[in-house]
Amino acid sequence: MTDHKIGTEQEWLAARRELLEAEKALMRRSDELARQRRELPWVPVEKDYVFETDNGRKTLAELFDGRSQLLVYHFMFGFGFRVDEHNPGCTGCSFVADHFDGVVPHLNGHDVTLVVESIAPLRELGPYKARMGWRFPWVSSLGSDFRYDFGAAFTEEQQRNGGEYNFRHVDQPPPQREGMSVFALEDGVAHHTYSTYARGVEQLMGTLRILDLAPRGRNEQGLEHPGAWWHRHDEYETAQNEVAR
Amino acid sequence: MTDHKVGTREEWLAAREQILVREKEHTRLGDELARQRRELPWVPVDKEYRFETDEGSASLADLFRGRSQLLVYHFMFGPDYTAGCPACSAIADGFDGFVVHLANHDVTLCVVSRAPLAKLDAYKRRMGWGFPWASSFGSDFNYDFDVSQTEDQQQSGGGEYNFRPVDPTPSDTGREGPLAEWAATTGTDWLTYTRERPGMSAFALEDGVVYHTYSAYARGLDGLWGMYQWLDRAPRGRNEERAPDDPLNFFRRHDEYDSE
Repeated sequence: MTDHKIGTEQEWLAARRELLEAEKALMRRSDELARQRRELPWVPVEKDYVFETDNGRKTLAELFDGRSQLLVYHFMFGFGFRVDEHNPGCTGCSFVADHFDGVVPHLNGHDVTLVVESIAPLRELGPYKARMGWRFPWVSSLGSDFRYDFGAAFTEEQQRNGGEYNFRHVDQPPPQREGMSVFALEDGVAHHTYSTYARGVEQLMGTLRILDLAPRGRNEQGLEHPGAWWHRHDEYETAQNEVAR
Repeated sequence: MTDHKVGTREEWLAAREQILVREKEHTRLGDELARQRRELPWVPVDKEYRFETDEGSASLADLFRGRSQLLVYHFMFGPDYTAGCPACSAIADGFDGFVVHLANHDVTLCVVSRAPLAKLDAYKRRMGWGFPWASSFGSDFNYDFDVSQTEDQQQSGGGEYNFRPVDPTPSDTGREGPLAEWAATTGTDWLTYTRERPGMSAFALEDGVVYHTYSAYARGLDGLWGMYQWLDRAPRGRNEERAPDDPLNFFRRHDEYDSE
């Protein structure tokens, strides 16, 4: 017998209806936040950033790939959670990235390009991408200030003397953190419109959103840290091609 | 030059920090709601449901596949459909990438639809998905969890959706326009199409007893629909006014876009 509170369908329904009102209120707040984000001023990007891509060197404007909106995920590579010589991509970012390939065709069909960016040579990104079976575009910002300027990487000087992450001062930031930056292109000018970090990125992760609906929630109590259960999708006991077997 | 308000980095930062405060509040409210969901009473499922799966006939307990939690996505694919609902297909594109993380965290995500298994399997192959998909053809499962209507309920009203009574469907709604167009993409007419509804239901298994713990419908599924989370942060948002004359709005099945 379970220790959890058991109820009749009527008891469940009464509690569920009450919760539904709170869920609707939160949904409306979410819509309102989305509206407020669209009201942020756009900041013209004046610096010339150059990226190495599978199709040669590209400017920020060229990363839009003909669309008017660009989402850039700042993927931690060569540094991060459970990173070593054989596993150069951060385990947390790899988990986030498992959410990209499914949405890319829909975003692309809706005037939005999604690009992943890392500070690492392109030749190192390719093999990891192939191993993980990902298809999204992944570019190298190595040698550019891009990621530093958008708050997801820190210079050695900042690592010693402090920098800003998630709009707050951090005394000794790590070399890299996760984040997502958004740009709009109009008349050839790229504008920075939005950036989000830390738990702001979590909102993009369907896994956590769906766990919030599951009987045991995120089920992270008793773990060494909340992300201790995360692994690269090819490192789990049950492999991706076995979930339906 | 853009018509949008342009600002300096400092102006942007000041406005962005204000939104951050509200975003954090929102995240915490989300955590609190998740906590409240876990406090809902669990309701033992007394009825015997049977499903057809790739491994043969299965009970609801079998759908857990050895894990203690089961999330069912109620995918709109009725017996008369020739293809799955495009909106459900977009949602499924999102979770196909992350079911492996759930499967290794004691959660089985299983899709359930009323169409016979052969139809589901063919469509799953077309879309290249790997999640388990069970058929509830001939079972009360979809009706009991408010995601299918009988023809009689559709005509006379009855049943609930999203915890509200469902009114009779007037016979002339949706005959033309968006709903009819959507229905056509599934090879059905709008009445047949709308007898299925989207939703998700959560179950827990303890000592061999299955409990229903949670269900969500309609916009309750927004959080699972990956692309909306991205679009809510994009400069033009969900941008659904862009093509008001396009009944399918912007999204298609992933193999139906001009460029992959």
